[in-house]
Amino acid sequence: MKTVYWIQGGGCGGDSMSFLSHNFPDISELFRVLHLELLWHPSFSSYSPGGQDLLLESILQGKKILDILILEGSVICGPSGTGMFDVFKGRPKKDLVQELAQQAQVVIAAGTCASYGGFGADSEVESTGLQFHKSQPGGLLGKDFRAGSGRPVINLAGCPCHHDVMAGALGAVADGTSLDLDEFQRPREWYGTMIHQGCTRNEYHEYRVEESDFGELGCLFFHMGCAGPLVPGPCNKLLWNQQSSKPRAGVPCFGCTDPEFPRNNPFFYTQNIEGIPLSLPKGVNRAHYMVYKSMAAAAAPVRLKKRTAKV
Amino acid sequence: MSADNVCKRLNIPLNRVEGDLEIQVEIEQGIISQARSSGTMYRGFENMMNGRGALDGLVMTPRICGICSLSHLSAAVQALEDIAGTTPPDNAIRLRNLALMVEMLQSDMRQSILMFMVDFANMQAYASHSLYSQANARYTPLSGTSALQTIRETRRILEVVAIIGGQWPHTSFMVPGGVTSSLDTFELLRCRMILEHFQDWYETNILGCTILTWAEIKSQDDLLALLRENRACRESDLGFLMRFGLEAGLDRIGQGPDCFLSFGGFSLPGETLVPGVKDLLIPAGFARCDQVRDFDPSEISEDISYARFARQPAPTHPFYEKTTPDFTDHDQDRYSWVKAPRYAGQVVETGPLAEMVVSKDPLFLDLLRVQGPSVLARQLARITRPARLLPAMLTWLRELQHTLDHKFYHRVQSIPDGMGAGLIQAVRGGLGHWVRITDKQIEHYQIITPSTWNGSPMDGSGAPGAWEKALEGTPVKDPENPVEAGHVVRSFDPCLVCAVHSVQGGKQTGGIILGGGF
Repeated sequence: MKTVYWIQGGGCGGDSMSFLSHNFPDISELFRVLHLELLWHPSFSSYSPGGQDLLLESILQGKKILDILILEGSVICGPSGTGMFDVFKGRPKKDLVQELAQQAQVVIAAGTCASYGGFGADSEVESTGLQFHKSQPGGLLGKDFRAGSGRPVINLAGCPCHHDVMAGALGAVADGTSLDLDEFQRPREWYGTMIHQGCTRNEYHEYRVEESDFGELGCLFFHMGCAGPLVPGPCNKLLWNQQSSKPRAGVPCFGCTDPEFPRNNPFFYTQNIEGIPLSLPKGVNRAHYMVYKSMAAAAAPVRLKKRTAKV
Repeated sequence: MSADNVCKRLNIPLNRVEGDLEIQVEIEQGIISQARSSGTMYRGFENMMNGRGALDGLVMTPRICGICSLSHLSAAVQALEDIAGTTPPDNAIRLRNLALMVEMLQSDMRQSILMFMVDFANMQAYASHSLYSQANARYTPLSGTSALQTIRETRRILEVVAIIGGQWPHTSFMVPGGVTSSLDTFELLRCRMILEHFQDWYETNILGCTILTWAEIKSQDDLLALLRENRACRESDLGFLMRFGLEAGLDRIGQGPDCFLSFGGFSLPGETLVPGVKDLLIPAGFARCDQVRDFDPSEISEDISYARFARQPAPTHPFYEKTTPDFTDHDQDRYSWVKAPRYAGQVVETGPLAEMVVSKDPLFLDLLRVQGPSVLARQLARITRPARLLPAMLTWLRELQHTLDHKFYHRVQSIPDGMGAGLIQAVRGGLGHWVRITDKQIEHYQIITPSTWNGSPMDGSGAPGAWEKALEGTPVKDPENPVEAGHVVRSFDPCLVCAVHSVQGGKQTGGIILGGGF
């Protein structure tokens, strides 16, 4: 049995709520099959206060082995670096997270706030991530931090983190499988493709049949602020709640797996130069892209222009 | 063990709430004489909104709360539509209502089974309760029979939100003018299958009777007769709540302020078979005992006499107040970082029980007449709320079958300069977003959440907040395991991540910590 301790910092609990949507048929069965023992989760556990203190103490003293530490929510450092905006029993929670991380074999950041700071990273709250501050290596633990297993923090980015990514990462860790991480320490298994992959609007994107208002079937990248081609993630491959994704339902991707999320520019709007987005799909040459897109638009079939192809 | 102590202060961590909460109680002769409530985390959401794009509230504010993100989306979009002076088409109203109601079903079931009734399996407190071993088999976290069913069924019902809006939590499919996509016949069918499956589970396992049978229960006598005569009802989670709760005395603790507020919820489409009051499914109103008055949003103000924020001259309406945390002041009197919202100067309770009182539900008016508000009445209101929602939901799905070719969205050019409010009845009670847009940017954003109403500190008149008041007089048998105090606070379904301008209270002399974090 490997042990799991789940902490919440500055967050909304959305990663836990997302995780509950994992369909195995439920997370309890997932823990059973993976031989994981959930020592503590703030929403599901029912220790008495005394029991909770004892558990924490025995982990911190190294008497109880901690295999997997999961942080959900950001590390709150404000005001002025004290961490007093988020405390437990009078102590900054950031200090406790740091101590627990020193004991853990594997440290997982569940969601963008825990990974990169997310909401509050630029505000008086002074949020930061476990091993990054937005795109910059560092964060609470520093870029050289390695957990007991010798591995850095595994960043399961997303707001919230996709339920199947959470389950998959737990499975990999339980199984002893090493996850290949990208430059922002996201597992390539789930962050090796763009959100755009698998979007049901892709044919519209291909021929640059674009929308400038809500409620239509075409592509949301060129005017509606969709970040699907810009950021990695599995939303259109694994689907949400076994059913759909935001872009499929006409909601532009907000780029929530990106270390800079939430972006400062307005949502629902694509900054552009001469109708071509300022930010282009990763690795694309601007001049080539402009030529390609104008030819693509000219080649668009009528069934797409008339929006008769379903999404 | 403390019954003979003259006065004792307590410091107890409690989890299973969204976010962090700390409550200090003073116990005299084994009874809570005073309670003070404060949050332990400041997230500064409102100040993050200033200067952002006009529509950004639709993306930012759902992320305040992972369990009620659609509530914030609903309030945010209504505030923008208030400014733009537009109302969405009927189909958009139906889809918005359906999604928000699914979130409510999810939250009510998870709160009842996973967060509240799990305390019945607290061995230290209830080993001698006649139903303890059954409670243990039903509600033990991640293994009890009811707990597992609830995890599975709430997961499935949320698929409806994903079909309508792409994902749950944290979608932004409600936009000024409507919703971002329509449904096709097959998607509609899937929604109906999922909902009908849920209703079947809810009737069989939670109520133990049909929704129609439950609707016939008009008084405490009816309720007790149902539990006596209907075996399925007695064995259901509702029946278990009542039987366990009555033996544990949960009908005698947690009275609260005895004033109730509902902002009103779920706008009715222009043409619908769903009945309502003044175009709302859940009526709006303010009730003192059973006297109900119309709801007037201008009566809302926030008092910061005991909250750690930069002083303002007097209680202020959210259109005009600022949220400036004051971390330098260690004045002991200012013990909370949650503001104290008041309605016409009154401390009020909001949430499912308030909805029942304001809508003059005969069963709950009778329960309150006989016993007054209590932990048990509050939980009963929550666990039976789905019985009020499901018939409307299935009606709207049937109406949609015939209106799929009607509009789901109409164009709203851009949000003009102006002030607007989105006031809704969210999962945990009245939720308000007050917004001012200037030159296509957010200039002002204030939010008052249900848990800010219920979990507020004292105000300038010295009146304690709703659950502070409800804690007074609660007996605590074992200060090491103050399960009774937990029942009282949990019966309000506290959600402290939503107390968006709550800030850590610093030093404590003793208290209950309803902690999310550890």
